Amino acid sequence: MSDLQKGFYPHGENAFVINFSESEREVLINLSEQIIELLAERTDHQSDDPLAAMVGITSHDTPPEDEVLLRLLPNAYSDQVDASEFRRYTESTLRQKKQAHAMAMRTSLKTAIDGVIEIDRSGANDWLGAINDVRLALGVRLNVEENSPEELQLIKPDDPMHGVYAVYSWLGWIQESLLEAVMNGR
Amino acid sequence: MVKVNEKLEEELQAIFSGEVPWITIVWDDPVNLMTYVTYVLMELFGFSKEKATEIMMKIHTEGKAVVSTGSREEMERDVARVHEFGLWATLQRGDQQ
Repeated sequence: MSDLQKGFYPHGENAFVINFSESEREVLINLSEQIIELLAERTDHQSDDPLAAMVGITSHDTPPEDEVLLRLLPNAYSDQVDASEFRRYTESTLRQKKQAHAMAMRTSLKTAIDGVIEIDRSGANDWLGAINDVRLALGVRLNVEENSPEELQLIKPDDPMHGVYAVYSWLGWIQESLLEAVMNGR
Repeated sequence: MVKVNEKLEEELQAIFSGEVPWITIVWDDPVNLMTYVTYVLMELFGFSKEKATEIMMKIHTEGKAVVSTGSREEMERDVARVHEFGLWATLQRGDQQ
């Protein structure tokens, strides 16, 4: 990651700009694609009813078994029966909305000219949501619930988690710069 | 004739008996940046920066905070919107805190 990075900065009234190196852009495109794929509909319990599928009702109502997916699609009730009912009617829509954020981020990365990305306020919300989803996913793998930032910084360079933590921190820094640009003056 | 499901029945009962409303709770999370939580609260609930920061600090220090109050249906909508932006929220009856 380049040292010259200055993160997102405001550009005029309603635009935010960031400059990425080729490798940074590739990392982000890759991560957004992974999130899009991860959030694809479950194929194990496809709804047989096309009308139900059309309005976003799925036949599955159990929480995802994958820990990362469960963090992205959490239970809305502590009560399991209520949580299942809610999931049946809303999980599909939630997947689509999260995918849309990641797709918008991917599109702006793909269409960047010379690594310069310019987004408007709505694009900023897509980016904030998508970056956050990637951080949530990486956070599960890094077990941030248990490991303190100090411990994570001490991960040895030959440990694969070392690189994961570097990306996690870098994304936090990008997100923070975008938040600062968006919230400035509000 | 409207098909009365359990949920609607509860809702109607709440309206006529003047029962306590439902609440949306946002839980603390080690991943979400404090600035991000503040921003999401401002965007989704229309809080001022000061109010959003106050609620964010409550989530951070106490582990959770109530972010909205209303009917069960409204709280389900709020929870869904909060989940879209990656904070963890749940809803429950206001008297079961």
